[in-house]
Amino acid sequence: MLLFRSEQHVDRWCAQWNRPRGGTLTLNQGWRLAKEWYEDRLSPHWRPKTVAEAEAAFARIGLVGDFWKLTG
Amino acid sequence: MTTRQSPENWDAHLRQSIYRHFIRAGRAPSVAEMAAALSSPKRKVNAALERLAQTHAFVLQETGELWRAAPFSAVPTAFPVCSGKRAWYGNCIWDALGIPAMLQQSARIDASCGCCNYEMTLLVEEGRLLGPKGIIHIAVPARHWYDDIVFT
Repeated sequence: MLLFRSEQHVDRWCAQWNRPRGGTLTLNQGWRLAKEWYEDRLSPHWRPKTVAEAEAAFARIGLVGDFWKLTG
Repeated sequence: MTTRQSPENWDAHLRQSIYRHFIRAGRAPSVAEMAAALSSPKRKVNAALERLAQTHAFVLQETGELWRAAPFSAVPTAFPVCSGKRAWYGNCIWDALGIPAMLQQSARIDASCGCCNYEMTLLVEEGRLLGPKGIIHIAVPARHWYDDIVFT
Protein backbone atom coordinates (compact mmCIF):
# COMPACT_ATOMS: atom_id res chain seq x y z
CA MET A 1 0.00 0.00 0.00
CA LEU A 2 1.93 2.92 -1.34
CA LEU A 3 1.46 6.65 -1.64
CA PHE A 4 1.78 8.38 -5.01
CA ARG A 5 1.87 11.97 -6.23
CA SER A 6 -0.77 11.46 -8.90
CA GLU A 7 -2.71 8.98 -11.01
CA GLN A 8 0.06 9.15 -13.61
CA HIS A 9 2.60 8.03 -11.05
CA VAL A 10 0.35 5.10 -10.07
CA ASP A 11 0.19 4.07 -13.74
CA ARG A 12 3.97 4.41 -14.10
CA TRP A 13 4.55 2.21 -11.02
CA CYS A 14 2.14 -0.45 -12.33
CA ALA A 15 3.97 -0.46 -15.68
CA GLN A 16 7.38 -0.68 -13.98
CA TRP A 17 6.29 -3.65 -11.89
CA ASN A 18 4.14 -5.22 -14.61
CA ARG A 19 1.15 -5.20 -12.29
CA PRO A 20 -2.49 -4.51 -13.13
CA ARG A 21 -3.87 -1.39 -11.54
CA GLY A 22 -5.37 -2.17 -8.13
CA GLY A 23 -7.56 -0.07 -5.87
CA THR A 24 -6.99 3.59 -5.15
CA LEU A 25 -8.19 5.91 -2.45
CA THR A 26 -7.66 9.54 -1.64
CA LEU A 27 -5.46 10.52 1.27
CA ASN A 28 -8.54 11.63 3.13
CA GLN A 29 -10.10 8.20 2.63
CA GLY A 30 -6.81 6.68 3.79
CA TRP A 31 -6.91 8.73 6.98
CA ARG A 32 -10.51 7.69 7.63
CA LEU A 33 -9.60 4.06 6.98
CA ALA A 34 -6.66 4.33 9.41
CA LYS A 35 -8.98 5.68 12.09
CA GLU A 36 -11.58 2.98 11.44
CA TRP A 37 -8.90 0.30 11.70
CA TYR A 38 -6.67 1.52 14.47
CA GLU A 39 -8.47 3.91 16.82
CA ASP A 40 -9.44 1.10 19.19
CA ARG A 41 -6.23 -0.91 18.85
CA LEU A 42 -4.87 -0.09 22.31
CA SER A 43 -8.04 -1.19 24.04
CA PRO A 44 -7.48 -4.32 26.16
CA HIS A 45 -10.75 -5.58 24.71
CA TRP A 46 -9.69 -5.17 21.07
CA ARG A 47 -10.50 -8.04 18.75
CA PRO A 48 -10.05 -8.37 15.00
CA LYS A 49 -12.91 -7.11 12.87
CA THR A 50 -15.15 -9.77 11.41
CA VAL A 51 -15.42 -9.91 7.63
CA ALA A 52 -18.80 -8.17 7.81
CA GLU A 53 -17.43 -5.44 10.10
CA ALA A 54 -14.41 -4.88 7.86
CA GLU A 55 -16.53 -4.65 4.70
CA ALA A 56 -18.91 -2.27 6.48
CA ALA A 57 -15.94 -0.09 7.45
CA PHE A 58 -14.79 -0.01 3.82
CA ALA A 59 -18.29 0.90 2.68
CA ARG A 60 -18.53 3.80 5.16
CA ILE A 61 -15.47 5.29 3.50
CA GLY A 62 -16.81 4.70 0.01
CA LEU A 63 -14.61 1.69 -0.73
CA VAL A 64 -17.08 -0.58 -2.45
CA GLY A 65 -16.98 -3.07 -5.30
CA ASP A 66 -15.36 -6.43 -5.92
CA PHE A 67 -11.83 -5.19 -5.11
CA TRP A 68 -12.83 -4.46 -1.52
CA LYS A 69 -14.70 -7.69 -0.85
CA LEU A 70 -12.97 -10.05 1.60
CA THR A 71 -14.71 -13.22 0.51
CA GLY A 72 -15.84 -14.82 -2.73
CA MET B 1 0.77 -16.20 44.44
CA THR B 2 0.24 -16.46 40.70
CA THR B 3 -3.16 -16.20 39.14
CA ARG B 4 -3.94 -18.59 36.33
CA GLN B 5 -5.11 -16.83 33.20
CA SER B 6 -6.85 -18.27 30.16
CA PRO B 7 -4.72 -18.26 26.98
CA GLU B 8 -6.95 -15.48 25.61
CA ASN B 9 -6.34 -13.28 28.64
CA TRP B 10 -2.63 -14.01 28.63
CA ASP B 11 -2.43 -13.20 24.92
CA ALA B 12 -4.20 -9.89 25.54
CA HIS B 13 -1.76 -9.17 28.36
CA LEU B 14 1.19 -9.86 26.05
CA ARG B 15 -0.40 -7.78 23.31
CA GLN B 16 -0.72 -4.78 25.61
CA SER B 17 2.84 -5.25 26.82
CA ILE B 18 4.15 -5.27 23.23
CA TYR B 19 2.30 -2.07 22.36
CA ARG B 20 3.50 -0.35 25.53
CA HIS B 21 7.09 -1.29 24.63
CA PHE B 22 6.73 -0.01 21.05
CA ILE B 23 5.24 3.28 22.25
CA ARG B 24 7.87 3.82 24.93
CA ALA B 25 10.99 2.56 23.16
CA GLY B 26 10.22 3.23 19.50
CA ARG B 27 11.08 -0.34 18.61
CA ALA B 28 9.75 -3.86 18.98
CA PRO B 29 10.53 -5.86 22.08
CA SER B 30 12.52 -9.04 21.47
CA VAL B 31 11.02 -12.34 22.55
CA ALA B 32 13.52 -12.34 25.44
CA GLU B 33 12.36 -8.87 26.49
CA MET B 34 8.71 -9.95 26.33
CA ALA B 35 9.48 -12.97 28.48
CA ALA B 36 11.34 -10.83 31.00
CA ALA B 37 8.58 -8.20 31.09
CA LEU B 38 5.97 -10.84 31.89
CA SER B 39 8.22 -13.04 34.03
CA SER B 40 7.42 -15.97 31.77
CA PRO B 41 9.40 -18.55 29.81
CA LYS B 42 10.20 -17.74 26.18
CA ARG B 43 8.32 -20.85 25.01
CA LYS B 44 5.11 -19.41 26.50
CA VAL B 45 5.72 -16.11 24.70
CA ASN B 46 6.45 -17.89 21.41
CA ALA B 47 3.22 -19.88 21.67
CA ALA B 48 1.22 -16.72 22.38
CA LEU B 49 2.86 -14.89 19.46
CA GLU B 50 1.85 -17.74 17.15
CA ARG B 51 -1.75 -17.33 18.30
CA LEU B 52 -1.61 -13.53 17.94
CA ALA B 53 -0.21 -13.96 14.43
CA GLN B 54 -3.41 -15.74 13.44
CA THR B 55 -5.18 -12.36 13.72
CA HIS B 56 -2.88 -10.97 10.97
CA ALA B 57 -2.31 -7.92 13.20
CA PHE B 58 0.92 -9.56 14.31
CA VAL B 59 3.39 -11.01 11.83
CA LEU B 60 6.52 -12.87 12.85
CA GLN B 61 9.91 -13.16 11.22
CA GLU B 62 11.36 -16.59 10.42
CA THR B 63 13.36 -16.27 13.64
CA GLY B 64 10.15 -15.96 15.67
CA GLU B 65 10.81 -12.31 16.46
CA LEU B 66 8.18 -9.70 15.59
CA TRP B 67 8.05 -8.26 12.08
CA ARG B 68 4.86 -6.31 12.59
CA ALA B 69 2.50 -5.43 15.42
CA ALA B 70 0.09 -3.38 13.38
CA PRO B 71 0.31 -0.50 12.86
CA PHE B 72 3.94 -0.63 14.04
CA SER B 73 6.65 -2.20 11.93
CA ALA B 74 9.44 -3.94 13.81
CA VAL B 75 11.84 -3.27 10.94
CA PRO B 76 12.80 0.04 9.30
CA THR B 77 10.61 0.98 6.32
CA ALA B 78 9.96 3.88 3.94
CA PHE B 79 7.17 5.08 6.26
CA PRO B 80 8.77 6.74 9.30
CA VAL B 81 6.37 8.40 11.71
CA CYS B 82 7.37 10.79 14.49
CA SER B 83 5.32 12.33 17.26
CA GLY B 84 7.09 14.67 19.64
CA LYS B 85 10.44 13.10 20.49
CA ARG B 86 9.33 9.58 19.64
CA ALA B 87 9.49 7.79 16.29
CA TRP B 88 8.31 4.53 14.78
CA TYR B 89 7.87 2.90 11.37
CA GLY B 90 4.68 1.79 9.65
CA ASN B 91 4.76 -1.10 7.16
CA CYS B 92 2.77 0.85 4.59
CA ILE B 93 1.00 4.18 4.23
CA TRP B 94 -2.17 2.78 5.82
CA ASP B 95 -0.21 1.68 8.90
CA ALA B 96 1.79 4.93 8.96
CA LEU B 97 -1.51 6.83 9.18
CA GLY B 98 -2.67 4.24 11.69
CA ILE B 99 0.01 5.20 14.22
CA PRO B 100 -1.33 8.72 14.96
CA ALA B 101 -4.88 7.32 14.64
CA MET B 102 -4.13 4.73 17.31
CA LEU B 103 -2.15 7.04 19.58
CA GLN B 104 -4.57 9.93 19.01
CA GLN B 105 -1.59 12.24 18.80
CA SER B 106 -0.26 14.69 16.26
CA ALA B 107 2.46 13.23 14.06
CA ARG B 108 4.60 13.73 10.98
CA ILE B 109 4.91 11.01 8.34
CA ASP B 110 7.96 11.39 6.11
CA ALA B 111 6.53 9.52 3.15
CA SER B 112 7.51 9.75 -0.49
CA CYS B 113 6.00 8.87 -3.85
CA GLY B 114 6.15 5.10 -4.45
CA CYS B 115 7.09 5.77 -8.07
CA CYS B 116 9.75 8.49 -7.95
CA ASN B 117 10.56 9.05 -4.25
CA TYR B 118 9.34 12.65 -4.41
CA GLU B 119 9.05 13.88 -0.83
CA MET B 120 5.46 13.80 0.47
CA THR B 121 5.46 14.79 4.12
CA LEU B 122 2.09 14.33 5.81
CA LEU B 123 1.05 15.98 9.05
CA VAL B 124 -1.65 14.91 11.45
CA GLU B 125 -2.68 17.72 13.76
CA GLU B 126 -5.56 17.68 16.20
CA GLY B 127 -7.13 14.71 14.50
CA ARG B 128 -6.92 16.18 11.01
CA LEU B 129 -4.70 15.10 8.13
CA LEU B 130 -2.73 17.89 6.50
CA GLY B 131 -0.19 17.70 3.75
CA PRO B 132 0.15 17.35 0.02
CA LYS B 133 -2.49 15.87 -2.22
CA GLY B 134 -1.81 12.26 -3.07
CA ILE B 135 -3.28 8.91 -3.98
CA ILE B 136 -2.96 5.63 -2.14
CA HIS B 137 -2.72 2.59 -4.38
CA ILE B 138 -3.33 -0.94 -3.14
CA ALA B 139 -2.05 -3.44 -5.66
CA VAL B 140 -3.73 -6.53 -4.20
CA PRO B 141 -7.50 -7.10 -3.90
CA ALA B 142 -8.68 -7.19 -0.28
CA ARG B 143 -9.42 -10.92 -0.23
CA HIS B 144 -5.75 -11.64 -1.09
CA TRP B 145 -4.04 -9.17 1.27
CA TYR B 146 -2.75 -11.87 3.57
CA ASP B 147 -1.59 -14.27 0.85
CA ASP B 148 1.70 -12.32 0.89
CA ILE B 149 1.45 -9.57 3.47
CA VAL B 150 4.98 -8.32 2.82
CA PHE B 151 4.16 -7.55 -0.82
CA THR B 152 0.71 -6.17 0.08
